[in-house]
Amino acid sequence: MAASVARDRLPPLVWAAVLIGAAIMVAPLIWTLLLSLKSNTELVGNSGAALQPPYTLGNYVAIFGSSSTTRWLLNSAVVSLGTTAGVLILASLAGYGFARLDFPFRRSLFVLVLLGLAIPSQAVILHQHQLFADLGLHNSYPGLILPGLIGPFGVFFMTQYMRAIPKELDEAAMLDGASRFTIFWRVILPLTVPAQSTLAVFTFLGSWNDYWWPLISATRSDMYTLTVGLAASQMNYAQTSGLGFLMAQAVFASIPIFMVYIIFQKQIVRAMAGAALK
Amino acid sequence: MTRAERRWDGLLFVAPFLLLYLLILIYPLLRGVWLSLHSVDLFGDGRFVGLANYARLAADPVFGQSLVNTFLITLMIVPVLTVIALALALALNRATRSAAILRGVFFSSAVLSVTIVTLIWRFVLAPDAGLLGELWTAFGWEPLPFLSAPNLVLPALAITTIWWSLGFPMLLFLAGLQQIPQDMYEAAALDRASKWTTFRRVTLPSLRRTTILVIMLQTAAQLQIFGQSQLLTAGGPSGASRTAVLFLFETAFGRWELGYASAAAEILFLIILAVTLTQYWLTGRAREGEDGR
Amino acid sequence: MPGLELRNIRKAFKGTEVLAGVELAVAPREFIAFLGPSGSGKSTLLRIVAGLETADEGEVVLDDRRIDTLPPGDRGVAMVFQHYALYPHMTVRENMAFGLKNARVPRGEIDALVSDAAKVLEIEELLDRKPGQMSGGQRQRVAIGRAIVKKPRLFLLDEPLSNLDAALRLRTRVELAQLRQRVDAGVIMVTHDQAEAMTLADRIVVFNDRRIQQVAPPMEIYSRPANSFVARFVGSPAMTILPARLDGGGDFARVVLGNDARVDTRVPRNGLPQGETVEIGMRPESVRVCGLGEGTTDAEVQLVERLGERSLVYARLRDGAAITAEDEGTTSAKVGDQVGLRIDGAAAHLFGPDGTGYHRQAA
Repeated sequence: MAASVARDRLPPLVWAAVLIGAAIMVAPLIWTLLLSLKSNTELVGNSGAALQPPYTLGNYVAIFGSSSTTRWLLNSAVVSLGTTAGVLILASLAGYGFARLDFPFRRSLFVLVLLGLAIPSQAVILHQHQLFADLGLHNSYPGLILPGLIGPFGVFFMTQYMRAIPKELDEAAMLDGASRFTIFWRVILPLTVPAQSTLAVFTFLGSWNDYWWPLISATRSDMYTLTVGLAASQMNYAQTSGLGFLMAQAVFASIPIFMVYIIFQKQIVRAMAGAALK
Repeated sequence: MTRAERRWDGLLFVAPFLLLYLLILIYPLLRGVWLSLHSVDLFGDGRFVGLANYARLAADPVFGQSLVNTFLITLMIVPVLTVIALALALALNRATRSAAILRGVFFSSAVLSVTIVTLIWRFVLAPDAGLLGELWTAFGWEPLPFLSAPNLVLPALAITTIWWSLGFPMLLFLAGLQQIPQDMYEAAALDRASKWTTFRRVTLPSLRRTTILVIMLQTAAQLQIFGQSQLLTAGGPSGASRTAVLFLFETAFGRWELGYASAAAEILFLIILAVTLTQYWLTGRAREGEDGR
Repeated sequence: MPGLELRNIRKAFKGTEVLAGVELAVAPREFIAFLGPSGSGKSTLLRIVAGLETADEGEVVLDDRRIDTLPPGDRGVAMVFQHYALYPHMTVRENMAFGLKNARVPRGEIDALVSDAAKVLEIEELLDRKPGQMSGGQRQRVAIGRAIVKKPRLFLLDEPLSNLDAALRLRTRVELAQLRQRVDAGVIMVTHDQAEAMTLADRIVVFNDRRIQQVAPPMEIYSRPANSFVARFVGSPAMTILPARLDGGGDFARVVLGNDARVDTRVPRNGLPQGETVEIGMRPESVRVCGLGEGTTDAEVQLVERLGERSLVYARLRDGAAITAEDEGTTSAKVGDQVGLRIDGAAAHLFGPDGTGYHRQAA
């Protein structure tokens, strides 16, 4: 099937509308960038100064001087990478079990997992908070990571992907004397790399940008993730170092995620194609 | 390897996920239902109150307003977002370089976190220090108090959200467009169909499932809108932008009325569940319709 | 007793029986073909031997060792799959070494075994390629190579040629025949292609309806089918089988067809079942076209297939029964012609009411 791409030229009026739209998309970003390049004192009472030089990297230098922003960056990295690794491991194991092995209650357990797709996080978040309080896990990396591991989507996604791999491969490996785990690890898992990378990108993006859970779980500022740290900064920005510094923090916090996006664009687009097919 | 092991060892693979899933998702879900039937606060372990929490919710004007606000903002966001995303997908479904760049531009905001988005928009919307304020002043107008006027605050949050959420629906529509077989367009061209007819008779019907998916996903997402209102306005002025999830947050973590907050969470859960089930039902019907073609 | 022994193998899937007490003995180094229509249980039996299915009942014994209780990798068997089942992410070398690694064979030994097998199969230049970069025929050889390196006592081939195009299939058939001369192991090949079974196998096991119908060398399957199923299933075009009536005769049976034509067979009369209702089976090559009234019976031509060196004539007897005959390549028979048919009674077979086959005495 040939993919349908329009080949005619865009009418000028439409073209203009798209460009205006693009300007609206970009303007706030540029505004933020300009603000971040101004000294804080210059911006006091006059944000319009952002449109004229002089510009300075002083705010960015200040970020590296501020132990809290770099600490939040580290926390975000640990939590997002930990969540991503955890999701890949759990979803791959469970996907292999559901897709390729037969065991009692397999169907009912899979349906139980699918039901989770319909449970919005706010329906459980209060009681997750209590549970983690009971377990004494708030303000800790496990406390920030664990709730990110139970999304049923990863399991569903890996199960679907692994189902499509021919059963003969497992059988050939069994005759080659491979154990269940060897079959999983050496034969099936290497074939799921495309699915793994797609799942990894989405998990990472979701975890990096998560706000609700770290907001209520990380109450000590040294355990904030960047998302929560920035929320705290903007809530009391009046008392803090000023507008330019705040915006520099915003830009700084978006750099990693933009890098991930640019590197993994393909996976994102492919996953969308999969969702539209479903 | 005996046969019994062979039957059960599959469970070993799903067990790590399932145990966490039961502990961190299913248990809190059930506990939430149980708590919603109790009066629980920071000090007491709670006593059974039946449906009293729900009755109190029904009579609580603050909760009522938060629900109305949530529905209103969802209504402002979803149709506009869907139409813009579809229009962009149609305009940018081209193999040219400029189309690729523009797709990147329109998607870029989607990777930002809610705190960065609100940080950016706070200083776009603020009358004294914002981009729009500067613009308005440049035209010689009085800057609009977007975040402090009760009738402007919900549209302001909606605009922020639309700016933020455009990317994924656009990608979904683009993917949907690419799956329309080229020969359908060729057949339409042979039938001398005009551009408009082709769009209405070929493109739109083929995008029906994608459209349902976009609308329902966005509806479910926007009914849970939280960060924008919490960070930009803290629900103000005087509750004009308090959303249901913000109500939940304030009740649970501000006033520590856990039973009452649980009841609110269950209500919201049921509303979103209804949306999700409608989506399954509609896509199921759309699929049947396509199979029947 | 060395070799493979299957004792009373039973298997049912969700209440549907697919194997009803199968017994079979395979000699060491013997090439056996499992032949039968799909759903006859032949693949299931192969998979039971491999350990990919568990029999509900019965024993699988290889070289005096019971193997049906062992995991597939410990049974001393290797399998070539229908779709090859090469590991797509491994090179040919890694594919072939995988089983040896799992068996903890020392590295040096693995390298030696792999390069030996690669030499035999002439796939040395492919060793560092991945399956996706190879043709169907090359993948087939690698799949065989992966089986050979394990030095199994029994090779199991599941429809090994069915994914190859016609030309490649013939060549690979020849290669398989050569291969079995080199390996010191038995071979069981599942196939639904009778030409494959006839040319390769020492003995053919014909399956139908959950049971083994006959176990015999190819020519015996062809010339002395155990029952009417085997007679119809083996041979192309199929044997003509018509209802007939026993009608006296001397030591050998004489039968009368539905249109009163008489055929004197060489099937001994004693040994035939009681009653006079039988069926007569005739291969096309023992029914020749001749002039009208000159043969055993007359018939109307329905279809003529010219194959070059000979022609097949599909005809109908006066009572409507269909019969297949043979004629010269230069036959003048045309559709609608009335012709005579000369039935060679010496080559005819008889089948009792239960389908059992009766044949002329072995020479």
